[in-house]
Amino acid sequence: MMKLSGLALAAGLAASLMGSTAFAEAVTATPGQEVNAVLLPKFLGILPFDQANRGAQEAAAELGSTGKLEFIGPTPENSAAGQVEMLTTATTQKQHVVMLSNNAGDQIAPAAEAAAAAGTKVVTWDSPIPNGAGESFFVAQVDFGSIGVVMADMAFDLAGGAGEVAILSASPDASNQNAWIEAMKGTMASDAKYKDLKLVDVVYGNDQSEESYNKALGLVDKYPDLKVIMAPTTVGIVAAAKAMQDEGLCEKVKVSGLGLPAEMVSYSLNGCAPAFALWSFVDLGYLTYQASYALATGAIKGEVGEEFAAGRMGTFKIEEDPGRAGAKRILMGPFTVYTKDNVEAAAN
Amino acid sequence: MTKFLTPWETGLLAVFLATLALNASFAPEFLTIQNQINLFQLSIEKIIVALIMTLVIINAEIDLSVASIMGLSAALFGYLVNVGTPGGLAILICLAAGLVAGMVNAVLIARVGIPSLVVTLAMLIGFRGLARVLVQDNSLGDFPQWFTDLGQKGILGPITLAILLFFILLILLGMTLHRSSFGRQVIVIGTNAEVARFSGLNVARVKTILFLLSALVSALCGLLYAARLGSVRGDTAFGFELDIITMVLLGGVSIFGGKGSMVGVLLSILIILNLRNGMGLMNITGHMQTGVIGILLIASVLLPNLLNDFKSRRRKEA
Repeated sequence: MMKLSGLALAAGLAASLMGSTAFAEAVTATPGQEVNAVLLPKFLGILPFDQANRGAQEAAAELGSTGKLEFIGPTPENSAAGQVEMLTTATTQKQHVVMLSNNAGDQIAPAAEAAAAAGTKVVTWDSPIPNGAGESFFVAQVDFGSIGVVMADMAFDLAGGAGEVAILSASPDASNQNAWIEAMKGTMASDAKYKDLKLVDVVYGNDQSEESYNKALGLVDKYPDLKVIMAPTTVGIVAAAKAMQDEGLCEKVKVSGLGLPAEMVSYSLNGCAPAFALWSFVDLGYLTYQASYALATGAIKGEVGEEFAAGRMGTFKIEEDPGRAGAKRILMGPFTVYTKDNVEAAAN
Repeated sequence: MTKFLTPWETGLLAVFLATLALNASFAPEFLTIQNQINLFQLSIEKIIVALIMTLVIINAEIDLSVASIMGLSAALFGYLVNVGTPGGLAILICLAAGLVAGMVNAVLIARVGIPSLVVTLAMLIGFRGLARVLVQDNSLGDFPQWFTDLGQKGILGPITLAILLFFILLILLGMTLHRSSFGRQVIVIGTNAEVARFSGLNVARVKTILFLLSALVSALCGLLYAARLGSVRGDTAFGFELDIITMVLLGGVSIFGGKGSMVGVLLSILIILNLRNGMGLMNITGHMQTGVIGILLIASVLLPNLLNDFKSRRRKEA
């Protein structure tokens, strides 16, 4: 008896040391069970999703799942229809869980609901299902509201406190980017600090390098006084930085947003993109798999208030998603702002 | 067997049976009813349009605007429902819009005489533009429950409305093409429009009917797509025309007109759907799937043309 309560106390202490915010018992999923899972990114072929896969594979190995973890995704041109098709196929295969970075907006909701009804759990990460239908919970990289503040602040600093700012986003239906843009607009509207900062346009490069490059040049042509291009997408920010560098505009127009240090290091050092932010996609993939494993094995039910242990990353809690009524999230956070001082170290 | 099927169709049948056998042996879930329903459902709008496209191409024309009309119809539906139009009325307006789009195509092609490749290429861009204007960069949803149910739930056991429509249209258009005087006119005109005109056929009328039908079916499929996915965007059905034309050409329909059968197109549709489904079940990624189907198309378009070329050269030499 004594021993047991001592253990519980130790566990509770450990949980609070690992940064849990409320007093609740964190569950630990039993390793070595069979969980068949699919990691379904928006599409294949860009670095962040490969990094997320690395993290998920690491977690799967750690947990010793005897099932398979597949990393499959559509082509960028066929992203939305391809995701619907692959989620449906995964349901047919009776996969235990599909980890989805949604690029199909609400169009994927019917397929997600069908999956949930057939017993295949759908966990979203990186980008959720906007209406939350069919989704168990969303593993959020950072608080979507705080991204708004960071993007607004980076724009404020780069523009010197006043001037025109434009946004170059991914696809118009990417719910993560849309939420961040809204958060940035909200931040700029609610604080008088940003009153001289003018958001002039939002354009979409669909996460295609060439399209994003051309859209960035289009912005410069359309707004001769533009000071900052804010690209909350790793594809868009590189394309925009390259466009400004190629046109010799880096002195005039600064690029910022969300980027991978490895892809941004040269632009950061040459002043085209002096500051940008991001979180670790490896960690995001790792946490997503840990949460999905706990859900698929029944260690957690996916209800608000549940806490679970996620290996090397500590304890996490399921909470209501402040951005989507009725939907649930697990918040990873925080993220890092990269400048010429720390980008080189992070790029390797 | 070769009595009923052309050599090309026999070849397709063999490929189809091989695909079936591969799928059934490597993907245990393949033969379940739900998977067979999904297999059709996931591409249902494309394969319905492929049926009418078969007649258009046999008529020696092409309709590149089908996917844009699908997108326009879906976008218009989303727009109308979101400004408060009742669903039933919105459907009628969308179908009417499809007919108007078809009439624009038909007049320019059949009356003014501009090649269909040029007209429908322009309309591919034009109708898509209209769709994007209607929904901008938004995603429009909140459709009536009965509407999305029609797109997602079975109405005859597990069989959905769209699948039922596909088989009804397959039979109707198959009979029209191979058993009716209209179908004969389609083929004769496709073989040689000049000869057909001199022998008194109303070429313009046949072409007008085909382009009207093509647009109407496309508009209907745009609605089916909207119902299946529960929301629409400006890029709904973007690029579908290429998949649709692929299915028709793989079915042995000559791009120069006059030759082709509904049986061939059905077999080609079955091959493509089963290949995609099987590769999905075997966890093959999107890039590989596109690659495999691309290779199949190259082979299917090149082979008959090379063979014909070879034969006609031998004939000339002889």
